[in-house]
Amino acid sequence: MLSRSAERLYWLARYLERTENIARQVNVHMNLLMDLPKDVEMGWQHLIQINGCKDAFYSRYSSTQERNVTRFLLTDTTHPGSLLSSLSFARENIRTSRELMPDEAWRQVNELYLYSNKQIDAITNRRSRVLFLNEILEGCQRFNGLLSGYMSHDNAYRFIRLGRNIERADMTTRILELGSILLSEARSPSARQYENILWMNILQSLNALLMYRRHVRSRIKDDDVLNYLLLDEALPRSVNCCLFEMADAIQSLPNHNQLPEKLAELQDYVKSIDTRQTTQTQLRVILDHLQSRLGVLHAQIAKHWFLNSTQDQYQSSSKTEEQNPA
Amino acid sequence: MSSIWENYKTDNAYDELMFAEYQPRAVSHTLCQYLNTLNREDIDKRKTAAELAILEMGITFTVYSDEGNIDRAWPFDIIPRIIDAREWKIINKGLKQRLTALNCFISDVYDQQTFIKENLIPQEIISSSKNFRKECVGIKPKHNVWANICGTDLVRDKNGVMYVLEDNLRVPSGVSYMLENRIITKRVFPELLQDIEILPIDDYPTQLHEMLCSIAPNPNGKPQIAVLTPGIYNSAYFEHAYLAQQMGAQLVEGSDLIVDDDDCVYMRTIEGHEKVDVIYRRIDDDFLDPEVFRKDSILGVPGLMRAWKAGNVALANAPGAGVADDKVVYAYVPEMIRYYLNEEPILPNVETYLCSNPDHLDYVLKHLAELVVKPANESGGYGMLVGPHATAKEVEAFRKVVIGNPRNYIAQPTLAISTSPTLCKNKLEPRHIDLRPFILQGENTFVTAGGLTRVALKKGSLVVNSSQGGGSKDTWIINMETN
Repeated sequence: MLSRSAERLYWLARYLERTENIARQVNVHMNLLMDLPKDVEMGWQHLIQINGCKDAFYSRYSSTQERNVTRFLLTDTTHPGSLLSSLSFARENIRTSRELMPDEAWRQVNELYLYSNKQIDAITNRRSRVLFLNEILEGCQRFNGLLSGYMSHDNAYRFIRLGRNIERADMTTRILELGSILLSEARSPSARQYENILWMNILQSLNALLMYRRHVRSRIKDDDVLNYLLLDEALPRSVNCCLFEMADAIQSLPNHNQLPEKLAELQDYVKSIDTRQTTQTQLRVILDHLQSRLGVLHAQIAKHWFLNSTQDQYQSSSKTEEQNPA
Repeated sequence: MSSIWENYKTDNAYDELMFAEYQPRAVSHTLCQYLNTLNREDIDKRKTAAELAILEMGITFTVYSDEGNIDRAWPFDIIPRIIDAREWKIINKGLKQRLTALNCFISDVYDQQTFIKENLIPQEIISSSKNFRKECVGIKPKHNVWANICGTDLVRDKNGVMYVLEDNLRVPSGVSYMLENRIITKRVFPELLQDIEILPIDDYPTQLHEMLCSIAPNPNGKPQIAVLTPGIYNSAYFEHAYLAQQMGAQLVEGSDLIVDDDDCVYMRTIEGHEKVDVIYRRIDDDFLDPEVFRKDSILGVPGLMRAWKAGNVALANAPGAGVADDKVVYAYVPEMIRYYLNEEPILPNVETYLCSNPDHLDYVLKHLAELVVKPANESGGYGMLVGPHATAKEVEAFRKVVIGNPRNYIAQPTLAISTSPTLCKNKLEPRHIDLRPFILQGENTFVTAGGLTRVALKKGSLVVNSSQGGGSKDTWIINMETN
C-alpha cells in the first residue's frame, strides 16, 4: 500500500470523525441551552474555546452570539476547522483514494457533502439545524458501518481505524473540557444544582448515557463521569478505548517499530489520571496535556508511514491546527 | 400531450437517428418508438434522474479556470447515439488497421527510417516535430508497439461517410465517461435496454489490464501495474482514479515513485519500496523525467527513462509515440497503411492541406474563411479557427499566426459533421457529434464497441470538447440481425 494512500485514508477518517464530532458538540450545547434556566449564564463562546480557535473566530466575527458561532463551526468554509470544511476535506481525500475503497463509501461521503452544501442557510434556524445535525451524525455512522461490512479489514482499513480513533480520543477530551469549563463558571449556587443535567448532556453527546447507567450504576456525578469517559474499557468513545483500538491497528501494521511502546506509555498515563484528586483547573491542564500527547502520537504515525515530502494544501492548514490545540 | 419531437428538423448534416422529420432510420426504430410514448414531463424526470446520478457518482471533469470549484459535473445527454453493428464491424477493422500501421511507422521512425528514406514523408516533418524524441532512437518496446492506447476521433460527413479526424496517441482521455455513460443509461432507461441488443462495453478495464500485463518486462507472474497521474488538479484525474480502481492497479503520482541505482522503478509503500513493472502513464512526455525532458517537472520521476531504456519497466504509451500524433503526420497515414501493411485504408482521412507546403499554404490563405485550421500539436480544441463561424477580424488575426509558423498548421474543409437528436429544454433538437473509440494494442488488438460520443451542446456549434461547452452521449452498437 502506498504511503500516500495510507496518509489519505488516515486523514479521510480523521476529517469524517471531526465532522461528526463538531455536530455532536453543537448538539450538546443546544440541548444544554434548552435544559438550563435563563439565569445560568452559558454562552456560545465555550465552543470556540474548547476547539482552540479563538483567533480564527474573532478575525471573522465580532461577537459570540449563536448565529455567528454556529455559522463559524458548521458552515463557514473559510474556516478550515468547520464541519463543512472537514467534510469537504474528507470528500477530497476519498475522491483521491477511490481505488482502495468500496464504491458505496465514496457515494456516501459525496451525497452527505452535496446534502450539507444545500443546508448552509437552513442552519440559522434551530429546528432545521437539529435535523441537519442528525443527518450528519447518521451519515457518518452509515459510512463507518458500510466500511465495517464492505471493506476488507486490511492495512487500508487499519489506517482508517487509526485516524478515526485518534480524532475521537481528542474530541472526547475536548467535550470533557467543555464540561469542566461550564462547571467552574457556574458561579451561583443555584447553577450548581444543574450539574447533574450538565453531565447527563455530556454523556449523551458521546452516546454514553445509557451505557453509563448500565455499567456505572451510580447517580450521575462528575468524577464518575470523568472516570468513565476517560478510562472505561468498553465504551467506544472513552479515551482508553480509542487508545486500545489504535494499539490494535498499529500492532498489525508493517514496520511499526517502537510505536506500540509509545502507545503503551500513553495508555499508562491515561490510566494514572485520578479524577477524584483534581480540581477543575488541574483537570483542564491534564486534558490539555493529553491533547498535546495525542498530537505527538500523530507526528510519530506520520513519520512512520506517510510520504513526508508532500503535504497537500488542503490538509496542511488543519494539520497545523491539529498540533496546536488551544 | 406535446411531443418531444415537435419541430425536429434535420438540417444540412446527416442525422444519425432520423432520415427526415418523424422518419427514424432502421437502427433507431425501437428507440424512437419508445421515445414517442414519453411526454415532456416523463423525459424531464429521466433527465433529472441522470443528473442526480452523475452528481452522486461524482462523475466530474476539471476546468482549470474555474476558481474555487475544481470539478464540474459531467454534461451528459440521455438520448443515445446508435450505430448498426454491421457498419461497426468495418469501422473496427479500419481502426485496427490504422493503429497497426501507426505503430509500424513509429517503430520505423526510431529505427531504420525507411519510410523517410523512400521519400514517403519529408524528413523535416519528423525532425521538426516537437513530439519526436531523439532519446528514443534505437529502443524496441515489446511487440514493437509504441502506442498501446489510442483514441481515434471519427466524424461522419453529409453523405454518411465516416472519416478519421485525428489519432490521439499521447494520453487520450474519455474512456471512463464512455463506461459511466452506459451505467447511467441503464439506470435511466432500464426497460429499453432489455428490448434492444446492445454490444456491451464494460470489459474495457479487463482488456486494458490484459494489454498492460502483455507488455510487462517479465511475462511470468503477476506484474505490478501503476497508473501515473499528474494529480488531482489534472482535468482527467477522475478518469485516472477510475481506471486504477477498475483494474485493481495502484494510482500513483510522481513523488510516489523512485528509480533506484539498479535502474528499477519502485513505489514508496508503508512496507518500504515495492517494484513496479508496468506504468500506464497519464503524463505527457515533457514532464515524464526531469533528467531527460523538462528539468522543472515536478510531476514526473527522475530516472524513469533510464529504467525504461534498460527494459526494467514498461511505459504505456511509450515515450516518443506522440510523433505520430501530429496533424501533419496524420496526412500521411493512408500512405503508411499501403507501405507497411500493403493494404488499402479502410477508413478515409479528411482532406488535409499542409501549410508547410507552399502550394497548400497558398490555397489555405485564399480560402481561410471556409476552412477549419488547426495547430498540429494541440488537443482539447484549443487554438483552432473554424472559418465559417469566425468573424472577419478573427480570420485576419489567424492569417498572421499561420504565416508566422506554417509548419504548425493544417487546414481541412469544414465538414457538415453529423447530428443526433439531443435533449434541449425537454424537446429534441439536432446537435453535431463525433465519436472517439478507444483501441488497445499490446500482444493483441482490441477496439471498444462504440466509444465516447461527444456532442456540441450549443446550437450549430461544431466544437465538441468538454472544455468548450461539449457534452457526451451513450453510444449503442446495435445488432440488427437478431432484433
